[in-house]
Amino acid sequence: MFSRRNISLAAGMAAAVALTAGALIASTADASPLVVPGQPVPGFTGTNSHGESVSLADFSGRTVVLEWTNDGCPFVQKHYATPPANMQALQSYAAADDVVWLSVISSAPGKQGHVTGDEANALTAVRDAIPSHVLLDPTGEIGHLYGAKTTPHMYVIKPDGTLAYEGAIDSKPSARIDDIAEANNYVRAALDSVAAGEAVAVSSSKPYGCSVKYE
Amino acid sequence: MTRILFSLLAAIFLGAAAPALAAPVDGGHARVELIAERTSVMPGETVQAALKMDLDPGWHVYWRNAGDAGLPPQLVHRDTSTIPGGAIGDFLWPIPELLPVVDGEIMDYGYSDQVILPFSLMIPAAASSTVRLDVVADYLICEDICIPEYADVSLVLDVGEAIPDPAHGTMIADWIARAPTDFAGEARLDTSAAPWQLSLRGAPGLTRDAALRFFPFAHEISHPAGQPASFGADGATLSLTPARPDAPDGPLEGVLVVEQADGTRTGYELSAEQGAVFGNTSGLAATRSGPSGAGGSPAGLITLAFFALVGGLVLNLMPCVLPVLSIKAMGMVSAAASGHAKELRSHGLWYTAGVLVSFAALAAVIIAVRAATGTATLGFQLQNAPTVAILALIMFVIGLWLMGLFELGSSIQNTGSNLASRNGAAGAFFTGILAAVVGAPCVGPFLGVALGAVMTQPAPAVFVVFLAMGFGLALPFLLLSFVPGLQRLLPKPGKWMETLKQFFAFPMFLTAAWLLSVLGALAGHGAVAWTVAGATGIAFAIWLARKPGTPARIAALLVLVAAFAYPALRATVPGGTEGTPTAYAAKYETEAWSPERVAELTAEGRPVFVDFTATWCATCQLNKLSTLKTSAVHAAFADANVAFLVADFTRKDPVIAAELRLRERAGVPMYLWYRAGAAEPDILPEILSKDLVIGLLDGS
Repeated sequence: MFSRRNISLAAGMAAAVALTAGALIASTADASPLVVPGQPVPGFTGTNSHGESVSLADFSGRTVVLEWTNDGCPFVQKHYATPPANMQALQSYAAADDVVWLSVISSAPGKQGHVTGDEANALTAVRDAIPSHVLLDPTGEIGHLYGAKTTPHMYVIKPDGTLAYEGAIDSKPSARIDDIAEANNYVRAALDSVAAGEAVAVSSSKPYGCSVKYE
Repeated sequence: MTRILFSLLAAIFLGAAAPALAAPVDGGHARVELIAERTSVMPGETVQAALKMDLDPGWHVYWRNAGDAGLPPQLVHRDTSTIPGGAIGDFLWPIPELLPVVDGEIMDYGYSDQVILPFSLMIPAAASSTVRLDVVADYLICEDICIPEYADVSLVLDVGEAIPDPAHGTMIADWIARAPTDFAGEARLDTSAAPWQLSLRGAPGLTRDAALRFFPFAHEISHPAGQPASFGADGATLSLTPARPDAPDGPLEGVLVVEQADGTRTGYELSAEQGAVFGNTSGLAATRSGPSGAGGSPAGLITLAFFALVGGLVLNLMPCVLPVLSIKAMGMVSAAASGHAKELRSHGLWYTAGVLVSFAALAAVIIAVRAATGTATLGFQLQNAPTVAILALIMFVIGLWLMGLFELGSSIQNTGSNLASRNGAAGAFFTGILAAVVGAPCVGPFLGVALGAVMTQPAPAVFVVFLAMGFGLALPFLLLSFVPGLQRLLPKPGKWMETLKQFFAFPMFLTAAWLLSVLGALAGHGAVAWTVAGATGIAFAIWLARKPGTPARIAALLVLVAAFAYPALRATVPGGTEGTPTAYAAKYETEAWSPERVAELTAEGRPVFVDFTATWCATCQLNKLSTLKTSAVHAAFADANVAFLVADFTRKDPVIAAELRLRERAGVPMYLWYRAGAAEPDILPEILSKDLVIGLLDGS
């Protein structure tokens, strides 16, 4: 006959096996993408190049652009090259409409594009860039949260905190500066649509560039 | 700056040099050149050329779909060319490799070390003396960082008669052979739930020991996500993680890469319409993890080892193990009572050593057999129908034994018990071995999945898992020897053990039922019926064996053998190796060409197709890929009873050379088509298409 102790021992073993199997199944399930056009985006808090804490929540009610960047990446260099200073022009265009621009650097220490706060500020000055903040994300926390894959990888967040656009900066995936003139700038189009209160025609695209240099 | 300088120098060099130049151009991290299958071409013909790139170690260039980051190489036509830009065909993309950038987040598709991207080149009809193709090879090359490089490369060809360049021709042909062929079966995408299911059927190679990976042309699915595969009698199903929640507008297009156990990779281009999955294409787990499967990762191994440890713990409860432990445990109580704590600990360690040595030996045997037979899966070869049938019957017999219908192997256990009852370290060591030996048959139902997974792992991983299992088995005893107070927690042997033993019969019967479902998927319901009949035969044999008298025993033995052998035999009758394209291809290509054979066949009134080919002939390989090896052409030729002859001109052959001269051709490829009853052939164009070849049959 089963004694009570024997039964509880057997039950314990069975539970251990069931839990292990459950954990195995759970670990193979993939997380669904968090950042989807039309859906609310996740909040975050980061540190800017001046050492100050910056939260997405600080800008509620305003349109926010996230730009993943890496100054060593030829695709980033293409868009900052002067002329035509494509990225700087887009930043001015956004600033004129009171849009918040956050440049995010997710390069891990020792990887291409990793910079200190002072180096980031120097880069901003040299390039005549005017982001609202440059966020330093060496652990890749914000990058992983948003699923940023390339530099550049652009996000436009509406004043209500939902995602308006995610993807490439424009329609010409290349590292050639000459292609900028012929490309359709998706970020500019998304900003125009959000400002006009219209639906964004292209709300997501395949980002192109270098991979984000995560740890 | 260096690059500009280099381009300038290259331009000067190009301007000065004549046809002979073939030196590769250094683009920075790759040596780049244009090659062709001919040194001399005829005006108006189409030849195969290629962009050849030799990459620095660790650097990559990209496939037509680069994945999450990166860009594919392209050729930008330059004005100095005498061959117009419109004459350059698209690249024929060889199947890519997975290039993981950030584990689970960023995955690229591309090439390392060397890649040759073939393209067709139409020589202008008005060409004379020489033609040149000048292009910029524009490519992104990445290691940890990415660099766009530009190499100005040229191809200069004499114009006149067709003269092959065997070295370059072979190279291009080899890479054409690495391009995907069209998928012979059907493909369908079920997007009704995430993950999506890509269901594939009616094509060769979709077996459980193959690793499958789908490379999409666009970005409908997540590139870094794993693609767990499941198999059935008719095909396979891949789970694809969508990149976006909404279903794509049209079919899912891309390349399925099938990697066989020996490492051969074959690509099939497919387009999957949306719809429900096909029947019999899922249900059986892969015996081999995919190229990016979790099984090979350290994290996967730790999970597996933990699972094995828990399984080892459970083994202690098995009726075959517990009595052994109890005998020793009783001895421990007295040892603890007489204050021999140190001796007790040493016993625990010796026991653990005995168990671990046994499990290590088992792992070594499995690795050795696996290496010797070349099978990836040994005992868990569940894609082999006879093995499955016999396993189902064995599970049934074990179930009967657990139920107490008959006694088995008590003498072996007694021998072990005698050794184990010896005192001291040796006794403890042998108890450990005994526990492992008697516990091993109970492993199957509990750890089948874990064992199946580990069978394809590298040898060290097999050892880790088996040792973890052994440690799990030894753990309770080891704990008891160090903490004698726990002794009270050990369940006492008694009638409950017999009850538990009988209870374990039911998992055995369920395992047998599951194996029958596997068998049904592999070999059809007939094999299942015969296996069930075999089980009945086994029960009959056991009943017979209990009758008095030798004749009854002999009859029982005969029935038993037949009950195992016949179902296994029935299961070996295959559902359809006949007619698989591999078998077809062998039948298709083995007939060698000779003028005499052609004369015989045409005299019989059969239509005859002759392929004059060579391994160094890139165009020949392209035609095989696009036309001759496709399932549509196979089927059409079979229907029309076409004799397919191959004349292999890879080595110089005077008879083939004479035939080529007779037909006024400079070389291969040459395709001859003898209509039914015709003695003289039509000479087909050098570039074939499916429509053209199948069209011949309508005209015959």
